[in-house]
Amino acid sequence: MEISPVDTQNYLLLAATLFCTGMLGVLVRRNALVVFMSIELMLNAANLTFLAAARERLDSTGHLAALFVIAVAAAEAAIGLAIVIAVFRNRGTVNVEDIRTMKY
Amino acid sequence: MDTSWFTKAWANPQALSDNLWLIIALPAFGALVCGVFGRALGRTYVNLVACASVLASFFLSVFAFQAVAADPSVIVTSAANGQPLRFALSGDWGVWFQAGSFSAHFGLWVDHLSATMLMVVTGVGFLIHLYSTAYMEHDPGYWRFFAYLNLFMASMLTLVLADNLVLLFVGWEGVGLCSYLLIGFWYTDAANAWAGRKAFIANRVGDCAFLLAMMLLVLTVTAFARAPSAEPPAIFFAQRRAVFAHAATSEPGPLNFKVLEEFAQYIPASLAMGSKGLLGTDIPIGPLAGHTYGHTLTVIFLLLLLGAAGKSAQLPLYVWLPDAMAGPTPVSALIHAATMVTAGVYLLCRMAPLLVMSPAAMATVAVVGALTALYAALLAFAQDDLKKVLAYSTISQLGYMFLGVGVGFFWGAILHLVTHACFKGCLFLSAGSVMHGNDGELNIKKLGCLRKEMPWTTACFGIATLAITGIVPLSGFFSKDDILHGALHTHLLGYEWVMPTVFAIGSLGAVATAFYMSRAYLLAFTGERAKDAKVPHAHESGWVMVAPLVILAALSIVLLLHGFPGVLKTPAGQPETLMEAFLKPVFGVADKLAVEAHSLEPETESNPWPGFVIALALAWVGGAAAWYLYKRVFPARAGKPVPAVFAAVRSFTVHKFYVDELYDAVLVRPIKLLSIGLFRVVDEGLIDTVLVGGTGWVTARIGSLLRYLQTGDVQAYAAMMAVGLLAGVGYAIFEVLAK
Repeated sequence: MEISPVDTQNYLLLAATLFCTGMLGVLVRRNALVVFMSIELMLNAANLTFLAAARERLDSTGHLAALFVIAVAAAEAAIGLAIVIAVFRNRGTVNVEDIRTMKY
Repeated sequence: MDTSWFTKAWANPQALSDNLWLIIALPAFGALVCGVFGRALGRTYVNLVACASVLASFFLSVFAFQAVAADPSVIVTSAANGQPLRFALSGDWGVWFQAGSFSAHFGLWVDHLSATMLMVVTGVGFLIHLYSTAYMEHDPGYWRFFAYLNLFMASMLTLVLADNLVLLFVGWEGVGLCSYLLIGFWYTDAANAWAGRKAFIANRVGDCAFLLAMMLLVLTVTAFARAPSAEPPAIFFAQRRAVFAHAATSEPGPLNFKVLEEFAQYIPASLAMGSKGLLGTDIPIGPLAGHTYGHTLTVIFLLLLLGAAGKSAQLPLYVWLPDAMAGPTPVSALIHAATMVTAGVYLLCRMAPLLVMSPAAMATVAVVGALTALYAALLAFAQDDLKKVLAYSTISQLGYMFLGVGVGFFWGAILHLVTHACFKGCLFLSAGSVMHGNDGELNIKKLGCLRKEMPWTTACFGIATLAITGIVPLSGFFSKDDILHGALHTHLLGYEWVMPTVFAIGSLGAVATAFYMSRAYLLAFTGERAKDAKVPHAHESGWVMVAPLVILAALSIVLLLHGFPGVLKTPAGQPETLMEAFLKPVFGVADKLAVEAHSLEPETESNPWPGFVIALALAWVGGAAAWYLYKRVFPARAGKPVPAVFAAVRSFTVHKFYVDELYDAVLVRPIKLLSIGLFRVVDEGLIDTVLVGGTGWVTARIGSLLRYLQTGDVQAYAAMMAVGLLAGVGYAIFEVLAK
């Protein structure tokens, strides 16, 4: 049985949903770790868009961009997690509402 | 004897022409060496470099002078029409700058006029350099002094050799700069520095007028060159005009003296054609359209006169020269007596062919000159400082030169320039020698009896005094009285009243000259040694200082030959002086044009001797009056109180007729007040407070309001970014849907 190819539109819709979910998570969740995960979600939404476009256009530029995004996401996760650990050691919390000393 | 010695140039004229720039470059190189390496080289080598460079320049000038004067094969052609112009060497080192169709060349030339000036500048210049080596013997700033002095020579030679007004202006500014530097040479004394600034600013007023005149001249000449050839007077010489138009609008540019001379020749030529002539015609094109050529020329020359008055210390810009005596005495001799201050006279003489086309400007020049001659002579009456007396005397003598120019007696003005350079140079150097021998004392009331202690200086000062006073048979008599004689026998058409007036004022000035010069001589050099003298006994200066004095004194006698009437005869049989004949190739054109244009009726055959006898009598009267007052009346009254009238007159004169105070009240103070007002309101108030301070204040206020947006809550920032993103997406969607 042959599986019919999925329409590009569906990929894009999925990516938009992922992105909005991620954004919502970034805006409303209090735990810094969850915020991080939401950011990963948003990045992967972007990746999905790139790959969908690459598939549509039948070239590999999109793959290239996606690979870059994965690399950046990895670096960002490493640094971000280090910061989160440092903050936890200093303050005993990773709740972003409690960490707002850098203000006017 | 081989006569070719006199009729052939000693050096190949072409080689001389090609190397004219060396005359300027040598002193400039000397200035560089003295200024940069002077301190390291030491006194001896600085003296050597400074004097040798000027001496070399002098020798080159002698060759150039001889070639121009003797060799009729040295002919320069007019740039405008290719016709032979006159005997001159000329060299061109290409285009200096170009702006649109205007171009100025690095062009130098030596005709009879600049050759004469060359001899004065380099000759007197060398003597004064020599003298300075002894005068500045103990000054630690000797290298700076010689660097400035050499730079001055280079600038002055540029001024004299330039073949166009723009290059002349370079020299003009250069000598002004050097004058400023040398007046304030001993700058640690604030008064000297202020004197330098005063000179610079007074000159600047004149220079501004000079620049304006040049711009107007460019507009006038190019407008003529480009006028549609159907315009009334131009149509008659259409053929020659094509060449002229090329010369004036491309090479060698409208301010070249040869082009200007050619331009002048069109004016009488246009008159001959019956219409109202070029002077009465409106300029057809350009920014000056609608003004007549005649009026424009008058304005140009009035502006040039103001420029010349600034440099040559004439009314109303003379005030800087007396203060310029703050500089070292050789500087006063070289710059403020012999050379730089005569630049104004040279400029007007250089422009002679055009100047004679404007009788109104001629009349103004003559009147300004005559008034200055008398006025400055009166100011010299009560000066006790020997150098101040000489300074006013210089202003007065320059007035005579302007008078000569104003009455169209150009060769007389130049002759007086030459003789004045010799005798006034001698007087100033003698004054320096007196200073040297009396520990810097210059007050003539505190000297006295130098006759016995400084015989050479006294003799030279005496000879020069007789020369400036106008006693037969010294040079000053003939040069000054040639001018006065010329004034009486020339007619400036439309301004007939000018000639007798300036003659009368000039003659009065001659009496005054005799009076103040005799007074200075009698008080300083004869009689008893003053009781309050600085040193009990003066000492004579060394030969290095005395030799230039003797040479200049000798020259002030010998030069009488050049003004002695009737030495030569013109082809028409009229008597002619040597100087007149020598400068004929230059001023003959101007005289001819003036007659053709009906602006000036030059001296017709007349016997100068009755006038000379009167002049001599006037000189004796002035001298005798001084002798009577200062040798008989005042010594006899010693100890008695001075009558109130005399005291008042003296006080008025000592204060220089309160002109400095008047200028201070009318010009300096209002400008100062205005400047203070502008400083307080515009600079401090508007720019500093409102613009600079205000910008900072507004930014700070906005910032202190906006900082409350920085809450420290990372999710608030993320929300802002999200809102921004949404706005962007919304805009994009809107754009897409709107299409």
